Parts: sequence; C-alpha cells; structure tokens
Amino acid sequence: MEQPLQTETWKAQSLEELVRILHRIFAEDKVSVDEVQALMESYESNPEEWLQYAKFDQYRYTRNLVDNGNGKFNLMILCWGEGHGSSIHDHTDSHCFMKILQGNLKETLFEWPEKKGNGEMTKKSERVLRENQCAYINDSIGLHRVENISHTEPAVSLHLYSPPFNTCNTFDQRTGHKHKVTMTFYSQFGERTVCSLLNIYYIR
Amino acid sequence: MAAAGGERPDLEPGPELAIEESEPEPESEPEPEPALAAELAARRSAEARRLVLSPRRLSGPLPAGLSQWFPALEVLDVSGTGLTEMGTELLSLPCLHTLLAKNNRLGGSRSLPKGLEQAPLSRSLRVLNLSGNRFSEVPPALLQLRGLRSLSLGGNRLHGIPPDIQELHSLEFLYLGGNFITAIPPELAKLPSLRYLVLCDNKIQSIPPQLAQLHSLRSLSLHNNLLTYLPREILNLVHLDELSLRGNPLVVRFVRDLTYNPPSLQELAGRTIKTRNVPYTPSDLPESLVRYLSLASNCPNPKCGGVYFDSCVRQIKFVDFCGKYRLPLMHYLCSPECSSPFSSASQSSTSQSESDSEDEASVAAHRMQKVLLG
Repeated sequence: MEQPLQTETWKAQSLEELVRILHRIFAEDKVSVDEVQALMESYESNPEEWLQYAKFDQYRYTRNLVDNGNGKFNLMILCWGEGHGSSIHDHTDSHCFMKILQGNLKETLFEWPEKKGNGEMTKKSERVLRENQCAYINDSIGLHRVENISHTEPAVSLHLYSPPFNTCNTFDQRTGHKHKVTMTFYSQFGERTVCSLLNIYYIR
Repeated sequence: MAAAGGERPDLEPGPELAIEESEPEPESEPEPEPALAAELAARRSAEARRLVLSPRRLSGPLPAGLSQWFPALEVLDVSGTGLTEMGTELLSLPCLHTLLAKNNRLGGSRSLPKGLEQAPLSRSLRVLNLSGNRFSEVPPALLQLRGLRSLSLGGNRLHGIPPDIQELHSLEFLYLGGNFITAIPPELAKLPSLRYLVLCDNKIQSIPPQLAQLHSLRSLSLHNNLLTYLPREILNLVHLDELSLRGNPLVVRFVRDLTYNPPSLQELAGRTIKTRNVPYTPSDLPESLVRYLSLASNCPNPKCGGVYFDSCVRQIKFVDFCGKYRLPLMHYLCSPECSSPFSSASQSSTSQSESDSEDEASVAAHRMQKVLLG
C-alpha cells in the first residue's frame, strides 16, 4: 500500500485493500469526496475478488452488501441483468459513489421537481459509465436513474454510501411525485438474506 | 471477459453463465478449424459438462467430433467467437441444456442446423442465448426446441415475433429487448409458463389485450417503445410484480379495445350513476346492482372524478417507482390527467368520488400516500 502524499493519492491493489483504506479514510473526522472518488477509481476491477458478492436476480437488479464500514459507510455490489434499471431516486442527504466493475451503466441526471410541480421531470444530462470509472452524486447535485442498457451484457457496480441509509425517495418521471421507500439487501457479506427471499420492501 | 453470473432462485443456470470452466484459457487470434479440432480432441473428456470456447474466432461451424470428445456436455458457450452458423454437430450433443452464442454473426438462413426436430437437443435444451447477433427474424428451426425455458434474442434485428412462438410451450423467460419489433402477436399470450417478458427498446405501438392471459407473468418490460395506451385487460395480470412503461408516449387514459371487450351496459350505466350523482336507495334496485354500485372505485387523486368498476383493484408495482411498492395501475395512468383542472374526467362538480375541497386535499393526499405505500 502506497503512503498517501500531501495530495492523499491512494492506489488500491485489491478489493480487500480498498476496503482497508476506506476504513482508514472514514476513521477521520473529515473525508474528502475527491479522495474517495480517486481511491475507488484506482482499484482495477478483478472479478475473482468480487464474484462471491455478485449474485444476480432474473427480474431486477440486486444490492449485495460487502462491508458496513463500522457504521460510517456501506459498501455494496449491485448486479444488473440485461435491461435492468433503477427508478429515479435521491440519496437521503448522503454521499454516493458508484464505480463500474463490469459492463456499462447509463446514468441519467434529473433536476429536483418543483414543490408543487406536476409535469414531466427535467433531464439534466446523461452519460454511459465505463469499466472502472467512478461517478459521484449527492442530493445537491440532483437525482438520477441508473440502468444497464445493454441487451447482451450484465453489469456489476460497486457503490459506497456515506452515511449509510436504508430509505430514500423514488420519483415518477412523468409527474415528479415522490414516494419514500425502504431498501434491503439481496445478500450480505456473500450470503443470501432471508428477507430478500421473502421479497419484502425491495427497492429498485 | 468472464461474465459474472449467479444463482437464479428459480431457473437452472441462466444466460449469465457463471464462472468459466477449468478449461484452459483460449487464445484470441483466429483459429483455423483443424487446429481447434485438434486441440479439442486432445482435451477430450467423457465427464466434462461445460465448455467455453470464447473468445476464439471460429472460421466455420462447430467442429465435427465435438459430441464424441465431450459426450456429457451440458453447457456450451460459444459467445463472441464470430460464429456464422452452428453446424450439424449440435444435433449430436445428447444432453446439452444451455447454449450461449451471444455476440456472434448468426442470422442467416443456415444459422441453425436442419433436423433439430428429431435431435435430442429439441428436448434437452433449456436455455438459449442468441443476443447480439444479426437475426432479422426468429429462425423457424428455433421453434423446434420444445423444451426451451429461456430464450434471449436481445439486440438483434427482429422486426416481428412469429405467431408460432406459441410452440415453445415451456418458455418462462423471453428477452426480446433492443430489436425493431413493431407489434406483438396475440399468440404470444398462449405461453402458459411465461414469467418474464422483455420487450423494451423496440418500436411497439400497441399491446394486444390477449396478453392479459399470461397468468404466470411476473415481470413485463415495455419501456422505450411507441405505446400510446394500454389495454384495460392488463389489469388482469394479478401476479405481475414489475411493469416498466417509461419512454412511451402514453396518453393517459384507459382505452377499452372495443373489438375484444366492449364495456358492458351495466358498467356504462354504473359509471353514469356515479359520476352524475344519480340518487338511489337500496329499495330502488335489486341487491345485486346495489352491490355492484358499491364496488365503484375512485381514483385516489382528489382532483379526479374518475370512477371505475373492478371487483378488486389490480395493484401492480412499477419498476419506475420502486420495487415492492404497490400502486393501482388505474391511478398511475389517471394521475397526470387528474391533476389537470381542465381534464374531462373532472367535469362533474361533485361526483360521488371525493370532493375536491381544499381542506380535504391534504387528507386525500395522505390517503394517496397510504394507497401508494400499500
């Protein structure tokens, strides 16, 4: 592991090392978004290291917890089958980092709807994220929808949320109406979770 | 690149085939057929159940002899090999249940071998992935694979779906996203076990109401098409967990397909009574009609005067909204129009639906929240 220079540039040589460095970073009082984003990007995806967490579901994308960051962050792997996508959602005042481990994901940014708004939500921008790229979003930047638009390739992404949260709002693109939802994990630390099997409150 | 895959709770190994075999890493330069055949022959195994040939380049069809060298083969992955035709060797594989041939150059008339109907494959094959090829039509030979449970033709050049798709009567998973399909044949609805139907990213203009007969359907993906309306019958899909509709120019209104299911006089009369506040007492009507009128459901949106009759409200969760989150389809389709003060639905001043007084608005909004959260 390289020692950070004044500019705090990390290079994670493995997923395990990434987690270790994250724990160090988040042990401090102040955490730099740029630092975390650079760290996430520095990790070169190696499927052997994360295959155990990559559990796909036929019908929808899955959230698979990798590490719960001593309560400071949640690190999870999302698995997207062909055509799988999320709703438009916010991030409950947390920071969200999303790194592509395999395949590609399209991220569409939306403006927050007007308070009394009752019209189609406004798209801000869209982009396709490639393998090993890491995107960042928080509520002040906007809302987004993430989708695997490939009809032939599954996609896998690594997400870090800090602080951790298990509820958020999803938004109807046509009206801007929002609804609070609770999220669950398809698996935790490589094991399928029972409540997922019961399909309770599964957020997309 | 190895595709990461995982368990599917219900199906056998699906299109996302898991980990590559312990077969040695194939080289990537073009492989003349004799050399490949020689290599496979050298590695023959009577026990090997999985064979991954990607990402070699195949200059011809699957090498003759494959079935002799690997008689126990159950899973064959020839994705990304540049294959233009499968060849007849497929017919000799006695127990193949998964064939992955995505991202190739299949699509011509010789893509699949003749004689599939008699081959063991027609009964053994469960999973077929032909996504990312060049099929402009579903090859008729494919319809001989009567044991097929999972079929992907995503990202091809299909302009339609053949009515004979109904021959694949064991089909549970059908992925047709990313083609140029303009219409869905009603015969698609004759697939009794279909659970997952993906039709996103096509050019579909309407959904045949017969699709409501797909009683096993759990997930229906229709986003990014040219749909302007949905047939009311879609409410009958009671087991539907997920439905994606975004990216369609949906006109927010129910349209009954009059050819198949015209509204009954009873329903029309019932709607009139409710929306015009025609007074009645239990002694005015037979008990059955009183009960019928009591089944009228109102759109939860307080500004909508919409009233409909369903013995139970079909609640379908929307991929666009959230996972386990139930929302009446009616409301979803009603809401943008409902919120418009000039919509025809709200012509009546006070119907027997909720009044739109300002005080009640917040109560109604709360109720909507409850409805929405299930």
